[in-house]
Amino acid sequence: MRRYALRRLSFLPLIMVVVSIITFVLLRVLPGDPAAIMAGQNARPEDIQAIRDELGLERPIAVQYLDWMADVARGDFGRTYWSGKTVRDEVIRRFPASAEIVFLSLVVSVSVGVTFGIASAVYRNSPLDYFVRLFAVLGQSIPEFFLLVLLIIVPSILWNYSPPIGGYVALWDDPVRHIRLLGPPALILGFGGAAGMMRLVRTTMLEVLRSDYVRTAYAKGLRKRTVILTHAFRNTLTPLVTVVGSAFLAIFGGSVIAERIMNIDGTVNFLLVSIMQRDFPVVQFLVIYTATIVVLANLVVDLSYAWLDPRVKYR
Amino acid sequence: MTSSASTIGSYAIAATGWDLPPEVSRRTRVLRFVRRNFIGVIASIIVATFVFLGVFGPSVAPSDPRDIDTTQQLEAPSLEHPFGTNKLGQDVLSRIIAGARVTFLIGLMAVTIGFGTGAALGIVSGYFGRWIDYLIQRSGEAWAAFPQLILYLAFIAAFGPGLKSIAIVIAISAAFGGSRVLRSMALIIRHTDYVEAARSLGATELRLLLRHVVPNVMPLVIVGASGVFAVSVLAEAALSYLGLGVAPGTPSWGMDISGESQTFARSGHWWLVAFPGIVISLVVLGFNLMGDMLRDVLDPRLRGSR
Repeated sequence: MRRYALRRLSFLPLIMVVVSIITFVLLRVLPGDPAAIMAGQNARPEDIQAIRDELGLERPIAVQYLDWMADVARGDFGRTYWSGKTVRDEVIRRFPASAEIVFLSLVVSVSVGVTFGIASAVYRNSPLDYFVRLFAVLGQSIPEFFLLVLLIIVPSILWNYSPPIGGYVALWDDPVRHIRLLGPPALILGFGGAAGMMRLVRTTMLEVLRSDYVRTAYAKGLRKRTVILTHAFRNTLTPLVTVVGSAFLAIFGGSVIAERIMNIDGTVNFLLVSIMQRDFPVVQFLVIYTATIVVLANLVVDLSYAWLDPRVKYR
Repeated sequence: MTSSASTIGSYAIAATGWDLPPEVSRRTRVLRFVRRNFIGVIASIIVATFVFLGVFGPSVAPSDPRDIDTTQQLEAPSLEHPFGTNKLGQDVLSRIIAGARVTFLIGLMAVTIGFGTGAALGIVSGYFGRWIDYLIQRSGEAWAAFPQLILYLAFIAAFGPGLKSIAIVIAISAAFGGSRVLRSMALIIRHTDYVEAARSLGATELRLLLRHVVPNVMPLVIVGASGVFAVSVLAEAALSYLGLGVAPGTPSWGMDISGESQTFARSGHWWLVAFPGIVISLVVLGFNLMGDMLRDVLDPRLRGSR
């Protein structure tokens, strides 16, 4: 298993290099010149040229890439074109907001999804079950951005209240505003993820509850609670991990919408803005950062199979 | 003698319990099917309506979705404009009907080009295994690691903004989606007795793949296609909402919710946002439910899990 993990990890640098080359070349070959954007509408060609020289964009792409790689190897990701600050600081500053949204959403979706999935399977065909199934199918169908837009619009029409939008305040600076800002998007992304999880937990749980070992557990007189939580639930974990993994990626992607609509100054919003402004160093860094997270998330999911189910072996 | 033989024969038939089912008229059978698959039928109606609007949308809309009428700005829903009008005096209902086309085309491309390729890759990967599997799965991983937003902007830059770029990107991102599920299914089928039997009879690999493996994963492919359609509707709406979609002015559900509509909706013009949003949700719901129904009908092994 350790060998398997190491072999998978050894692919990480390779994937990083491939992803970074693609990004690097695409950014420079495709239309959209950062110098022209920075110089403004009425810039003379000489001004644009001067900026291009200053940014080092006139050198051959291979040279630019190797130069950048050498800096990255030393832990230097360069400075942004727009603010002139280091990319590292700019990203670190925006990191907490994004990480918190993703983390809270994941917590919401796993706790809601697992609890209601189990309850719905155990009390099959009860009103609760019907509610969970309805919720699950609606949650997978209603777009998150629509819910977020409703979240802004409905209170402002009905109660003339608008939720705070924009910026970011740390929890310890202003706890109330912090929760009012990050809570709603996290809840909505979380419920979106919970929908898929509920369905899966319910389906697997129903299958497991029909199996022989569950009947045996009941027959030897164990309490219902014990049978469900320790015997049955444990066997839904393997498929659950796959769904948690894809829910994480979905939430990570969905946080673009959340940060955009709520105008939160987070890393994904930063990536979007930097792409529009052609801020190459920022885009390069954030693409690699995103790719690393995706690859690591997939690895964690694959490794946890063996940890949860001793029958699984890796070669 | 002959009569007694036939009596014994009929007893034998009775004993096996193989009575023919009582004659049921076609109408009764249809009604029974509808009653048992009530939700599925509703889903099919939603999907059929959507496909109809996707094909004929602009020509059946009550008024021109681009028609600007400054005398009828921001009117609340009425008999004349059931879904109200927007800031330019355009009929919201007509815009929704015409907007079905963009969503439909993108979903269609995602399913045929994207999911079709992904399904084929998954089956090949699971069936042949070894280095082919390794190559396809690792490429899939590298692919999934690449942020799709970047890819999208690359296409926008290359082909200009609009329907084509967004369709290609959504199709490509759907490509590896189904491949893992189908891979594991093909992996199981490869080792089944009937495939072994056919192989021992001398069937070529190509024949095994096309005649034995592919038909058996077909239910998964069809169910998967329905899911991919649902996801691509959501993706198109989200991208258009972010302003990365079709050209401004084009009727598109996602875009009609964004920007100014949102500002106006906050000051009480709720219909600008509510109706397009509800329609997106309904169409996605239709495809999701239809996928569930197809899974139940096509693959009896998966039945009873709902």
